[in-house]
Amino acid sequence: MAKKKCIAMLLAGGQGSRLNSLTKQIAKPAVPFGGKYRIIDFTLSNCTNSGIDTVGVLTQYQPLLLHTYIGIGSAWDLDRKNGGVTVLPPYSEASGVKWYEGTAHAIYQNINYIEQYAPDYVLILSGDHIYKMNYAKMLDYHIEKDADVTISVIEVPWSEASRFGIMNTNEQMEIVEFEEKPTSPKNNLASMGIYIFNWSILKQYLEIDNANPNSSHDFGKDVIPLLLKEKKRLVAYPFKGYWKDVGTVKSLWEANMDLLNPESELNLFDHSWRIYSVNPNQPPQYISVDASVVNSLVNEGCIIEGSVEHSIVFQGVHIQKGAIVTDCVIMPDAIIGENVYIEKAIVPSAMEIPSGMIIRPSLFGEEIILVTKEWLEV
Amino acid sequence: MNKMMLGVIDATTYMESLRELTLHRSIAAVPFAGRYRLIDFVLSNMVNSGIESVAIFPKYQYRSLMDHLGSGKNWDLNRKRDGLFFFPSPDLNIPSPHLGAFQHFEQHIDYFLRSKQKYALICNSYTVCNIDYHSVLKRHIDNQCDITEVRYQGRSLEMFILETSLLLDLIANRVHTGYNSIVDVVRDSFHQLKICDYEHNGYVAIIDSIEKYFRHSLELLNPEVWQQLFVKCRPIYTKVKDEPPTKYTESAIVKNSMVANGCVIEGHVENSIIFRAVKIGKGTVVKNSVIMQKTQIGEQCELDSVIIDKDVKVENGVKIYGTERQPFVIRKGTVQGALMNQ
Repeated sequence: MAKKKCIAMLLAGGQGSRLNSLTKQIAKPAVPFGGKYRIIDFTLSNCTNSGIDTVGVLTQYQPLLLHTYIGIGSAWDLDRKNGGVTVLPPYSEASGVKWYEGTAHAIYQNINYIEQYAPDYVLILSGDHIYKMNYAKMLDYHIEKDADVTISVIEVPWSEASRFGIMNTNEQMEIVEFEEKPTSPKNNLASMGIYIFNWSILKQYLEIDNANPNSSHDFGKDVIPLLLKEKKRLVAYPFKGYWKDVGTVKSLWEANMDLLNPESELNLFDHSWRIYSVNPNQPPQYISVDASVVNSLVNEGCIIEGSVEHSIVFQGVHIQKGAIVTDCVIMPDAIIGENVYIEKAIVPSAMEIPSGMIIRPSLFGEEIILVTKEWLEV
Repeated sequence: MNKMMLGVIDATTYMESLRELTLHRSIAAVPFAGRYRLIDFVLSNMVNSGIESVAIFPKYQYRSLMDHLGSGKNWDLNRKRDGLFFFPSPDLNIPSPHLGAFQHFEQHIDYFLRSKQKYALICNSYTVCNIDYHSVLKRHIDNQCDITEVRYQGRSLEMFILETSLLLDLIANRVHTGYNSIVDVVRDSFHQLKICDYEHNGYVAIIDSIEKYFRHSLELLNPEVWQQLFVKCRPIYTKVKDEPPTKYTESAIVKNSMVANGCVIEGHVENSIIFRAVKIGKGTVVKNSVIMQKTQIGEQCELDSVIIDKDVKVENGVKIYGTERQPFVIRKGTVQGALMNQ
């Protein structure tokens, strides 16, 4: 393998348990988003658009769909002779089977993969976030600051700072302290879970961490605090722009709705930074004589015969006559029956909402409804 | 039966009646149905019928066709064994009054000699339908036919199945027999070959004039028509563009239309086919029209019965009207100003 300056390791093994039934059979990075994408498309497209052509994708929880989806990476132009995408699930070795115990352990288990490319830098990413970011700029910053580790940070509202891992920095943006979910935060710079390491440092500390039986083998909880304690040079990279963790039903819904806000910084129509995805190969959408579609994103293969307002409609969805869909996310191949009224809801893939049903949050005392099979049977 | 057929697409045809849409492209590459090119239909039908070796014989203006097809990856034809072959005519002076000119095939005879497939399927590039060639081949074999021609309501669809060895004979003996194309053979009765018909049931559009192009395009808005063309188990493949879903803004009004991905619709669209990445501005009304990819239509325009080719910019306030029989065609890449067509 030819040497690479920088390779990416994408942590995609998360369960995303707060997404409830959406992640019962698929990993969080595979959850549909934005009318045609899956969450992981954003990170993979960022890699391609940033010129990073070698990406190891670490999977563990419910990997079948994720593995099929990623394939050999052609959708993101990552089917390369040298590098490209490599799916890295846990494996067994002479000493036994080892599940990935934490984010740092997952990378530790794949030191051999990284060593093939003898990189100078390793970019650690997670497949859980919606954002567009040029990692090449972050790498330039890392090199310019002569850092051992650069951590991407974003300003969050002070009121929410205690939900994040907060980086306390000095004026040179050097990180002096890291606090995981502080009750009284001193700063509002939250870690985005995006790290650039000098490979030599990362390798050394992964080995130290792995040898520590008391460690939970997590970057945020163990490796970063250890590096700070040992006075390594950790620098914060301030990111400006749209970034959202879609870890809950509500935040997933909100991030989808953000796409309909003309002021939103997340622009899917920017041809210079396309978000790539596996194409479903369906005919154009058909909007019937009776239909009305306003303030919405609609993907190919849909048949719209009802009224759709302020909603995200994925490929292959059929919205039948008389149905009224407002503030909803309708995932692929779902059917909304005739005269259904549905508001502020997420309808999972291939679900059929029977004709005449009324679904609105006020009826159920919830903010956002995630429709489930059990729920429809009641 | 899967590996028994070769697919041969004769894309050498030029038609004066389609001139406005074929100034910069071959007929095979004419955009159709919101996101496809005409050749996608025959090519997808072949692939969906298990054909793994497809030869395309282009002649004029085939740059856009080559760009569209690439390695054949989108049709799963980027194979180590067989796959997609491109055989441009080395001589533009070969007369080809009929489909399946043997002289074109002869210039790339090695392809036919090397292929192991027992049967060959010869098609034109501009017949739009969704057909399973397995059934045609089965009938051809069961009835011990020499050549089977697919027809629809008595009209030839210019799709022929014959044994590859017979095709080689016909090519080799064309001077002797006087048959210069597969059509010559089928139309003549002074030979011993058994010619059979296969009647295709299902929607068919033969695109051989602007009027037909326009009529068949708008016909797609009939659910019974598109349901016959877009069958889930036999999808039509095309070049992937990675456009986002289409955005309908607050002011959008869309009725009875087919809209591809990547569009931003702010205006009023009715009875129309809108291709990928088209922008339609506020206050604009588009009716009974075909708007091809990446065309940008400004605000307060009125367009009725027009075909707008790709990459056209229509400035604010432009009004253009055609008729059902004579749609107004706007050429690729042009700019339409408000004062131009008055």
